[in-house]
Amino acid sequence: MTLWISLILHALAYGSILALAAQGEVLAERAGVINLGVEGLMALGAVTAVLAADASVSPWLGCLAAVAVGAGGALVLGLATVNGSANQTLCGVALTFLGLGLSAVIGHNVAGLPVAAGFSSWPIPVLSHLPLVGPLFDQSPFVYLAFGLLPLLCHIVLFRTRLGLSLRAVGENPGAADAVGIPVRRFRLGAVVIGGALAGLAGADMTLSVMPVWSEGMIAGRGWIAVALVIFCGYRPVLAAASSLLFGLVMSLSFFGQAQGWPVPPAILNMTPYLGTILFMIVPAMLLPGMRRFMAAPAALGTPYFREER
Amino acid sequence: MSRRIRLSVVPARRIFIGRALALGFVFLVLALVLMLLGLNLGTVATLVVTSTFGTEFGLENLALYMTPLLMTGAAVWLALRAGLWNIGAEGQFLAGATAASAVGLFLPFPAFVTLPLAAMAGMIAGACWSAVPAAGRAWLGVSEIITTLLLNFIASYLVYYLVTGPWADRVTGAQVSSERIHAAIPTIYGVVHWGGPLALAVVTALGLLLGRSRFGYELTLSGSNPEAAHYAGVSVAPRLFMALVFSGALAGLGGMMEALGTVHRLQGGLAHGYGYLGIVVALLARQSALALIPAAFLMAVILNMGIVLQTLQVSASSVLAITGLLVFAIAVSDELAAYVRLETQK
Repeated sequence: MTLWISLILHALAYGSILALAAQGEVLAERAGVINLGVEGLMALGAVTAVLAADASVSPWLGCLAAVAVGAGGALVLGLATVNGSANQTLCGVALTFLGLGLSAVIGHNVAGLPVAAGFSSWPIPVLSHLPLVGPLFDQSPFVYLAFGLLPLLCHIVLFRTRLGLSLRAVGENPGAADAVGIPVRRFRLGAVVIGGALAGLAGADMTLSVMPVWSEGMIAGRGWIAVALVIFCGYRPVLAAASSLLFGLVMSLSFFGQAQGWPVPPAILNMTPYLGTILFMIVPAMLLPGMRRFMAAPAALGTPYFREER
Repeated sequence: MSRRIRLSVVPARRIFIGRALALGFVFLVLALVLMLLGLNLGTVATLVVTSTFGTEFGLENLALYMTPLLMTGAAVWLALRAGLWNIGAEGQFLAGATAASAVGLFLPFPAFVTLPLAAMAGMIAGACWSAVPAAGRAWLGVSEIITTLLLNFIASYLVYYLVTGPWADRVTGAQVSSERIHAAIPTIYGVVHWGGPLALAVVTALGLLLGRSRFGYELTLSGSNPEAAHYAGVSVAPRLFMALVFSGALAGLGGMMEALGTVHRLQGGLAHGYGYLGIVVALLARQSALALIPAAFLMAVILNMGIVLQTLQVSASSVLAITGLLVFAIAVSDELAAYVRLETQK
């Protein structure tokens, strides 16, 4: 029984990384910009969090620095793709390379060293003392944010406010949005920057809470899994959080298998998150063709907006 | 009065000038970063030039880098002609290298039988590695960018598992490596092997196939305008599938050349980022297959520069950062090159 609890705790911790990054990507893609640089921004966020936390001995400052770097990187991407209308796929992949390479260069000296300051868990009074399910309410602040506050906030903003309606309009039909006076480029840029900030935060979640050490290649495709997850959840904030937990569970399976001594080599177990993600992308498309409308991408996703071509 | 308009077809000269500026920008940023790191620019530049062009070893290295870059570049380029992004050339390259190594390690044939067999095995493995993303994209509309990329991780774990487990070197005890493969691609000069000329031939043949055949025409049409292709009676989905599967086969052949020509072992770090650099090679080449050759040359020089930087205690990943910056600069410059100022009468 305790093993099952530990599996779920593991899934919560690892799922929170995905959930933060995916939530940001949902916002950007709802506005019509596909940010494929998430992986690179997460790496930059993770390494900045370590450097800032080491320098200031404050996890909060580490977190803040990671968010700032994520937002800054996304701002560059946004200026290029939204204002410069450059190819979004290309710029996103470039940002990933740049982020992965740069983070390895600046993190060279702190690689493998323990981080000076990290977040401890925040137990919720009363609930955390419950038998059996108590540990579920004794989590890092990132977990509460990723699975509680943020998906609700994003859902309400996207589907219950005028701001969210405008954001979605910009992603579905920028020409019409422009015609009613919504500043298309400003909305897109804003969504990309907030998305990037959340990717940076996801990186900080990794190095300040989940595994408090920086090493090159530690993001290990989580940014790409987050991008895949956004498609899987049909660009919906609450479903994004739920599917992050599911993906977190798949990721935890390899640890679980190793702890349980399954007769499968660790390298093969390590493949499961990637195999799982590919299956999660292909199987629903195969089995549920009728769901395509419900899960459809924003109509203008990936296309720059030119006012002349309205 | 003048007004800015965006050209839908951009003259090659404008693109070329833009990219030259982009390349200049990347070198400028690189110079600034190196200065900030406290390195003497003159020394670094001399070191790069002499170690690349000044020694026989450097020139041989350049040829050895160009071979896999040509193959992965051709792979990404072919997919791109059909409007698809193959970000998984790295994984297909590893899959090809793995299958070719299996042939080289375990089949007791003389080299003239083993080498063609290994090449076949490499191409088939590379094709299989891209078949699932290809089918997903062609018939289900699943983004090939993410699926091909995720398969890179799986390929590298697979190679790692093989070379630390069942195929580990028990003769010399080399770490994360298989035993030496006895069948080797014959060399031309020094360590430069026949893989290079073969890659050049493949690139040329690819250019002819895409530019001069019905298949090539239908593939390009399916990529640039699927609806028009459908209307003209071309079945788009099978063309997209074929493009991505052929693309995987090309990368797989590159992996075979690397394993049996250059490294002579299956190793953990065999792919060396060639798959990712192939994206830049393909991007630089634009519509022309023959342009892959100078593009691969440029990237080989940059790769060699990375080795020099590594000896100066800069992380080996700096190449990845430079690559990213270059792709970003090219993407922006290509777009900016499309804008012209139009004089209007008022």
